[in-house]
Amino acid sequence: MRFMVIVKASKDSEAGVMPSTELIAAMGKFNAEMVKAGVMQAGEGLHPSSKGARLTYSGGRAGVRRGPFDLTNDLVSGFWLIETKSLDEAVDWMKRAPFDGGAEIEIRQVFSAEDFGEALTPELRDQEARLRAQTEKK
Amino acid sequence: MRFMMLMIPAGYATAAAGTMPSAEAIAAMGKYNEALKEAGVLITLDGLHPPSMGARVSFPGGKPVVTDGPFAEAKEVLGGYWMIDVTCREEAIAWAKRCPASENEVIEIRQVMEMSDFPDDVQEAAAGSTELQGRPEH
Repeated sequence: MRFMVIVKASKDSEAGVMPSTELIAAMGKFNAEMVKAGVMQAGEGLHPSSKGARLTYSGGRAGVRRGPFDLTNDLVSGFWLIETKSLDEAVDWMKRAPFDGGAEIEIRQVFSAEDFGEALTPELRDQEARLRAQTEKK
Repeated sequence: MRFMMLMIPAGYATAAAGTMPSAEAIAAMGKYNEALKEAGVLITLDGLHPPSMGARVSFPGGKPVVTDGPFAEAKEVLGGYWMIDVTCREEAIAWAKRCPASENEVIEIRQVMEMSDFPDDVQEAAAGSTELQGRPEH
């Protein structure tokens, strides 16, 4: 099973304060362990929302609003993609992440083609497989 | 530059476990994904199961505390994401505008941090961990 681990934004991440060298080194170690265990597939940090935008869709038209966005508990600052056997295993890995001081992460299961059942027609399934094969080559 | 397009569907925070997009929505998104791929813009994409099937881990005082989903206080949650490679934020916005999103969906665009965005000492501390991410630097 694949999981997305969503790291929540903080005052610092929104202010563009880069993590300390110590924290980056600790994260690097943690990432290395996950890679060694064949768990980590990707991990990225995001620039503050001030460099971003939001789009809303109404009547077939898209409206654009530039960041920054309110710092709620739902704002994102980074993520990992990991592969584990269960949610519990994903949780166990993430308990070891070198976070502190009220940091929060959210773990969410990624859809796989099998999850869609009948809704994913054979044609759509082929399209999806082609798409994946090509993007994974990048 | 890499950007994440974060899909935020209203109401997904309280969606029941096993909630799936409709066949029509999947077909429309498939076409859009195909267009992203044809243009050489798409790096990867995923959909996420509802938060009711996930968990949150917070770190008060550095100790992990696990909360199972759904998350009562969550207003906005991710339903999925695209990772794209474009020349600027405007191009990312132009692509997001073309998304066949519905009126209850918002797309947030966020720039991904590249190692070159970090100061030298941080780059040194993180040396080696970019290869761990399984993708070369852009």
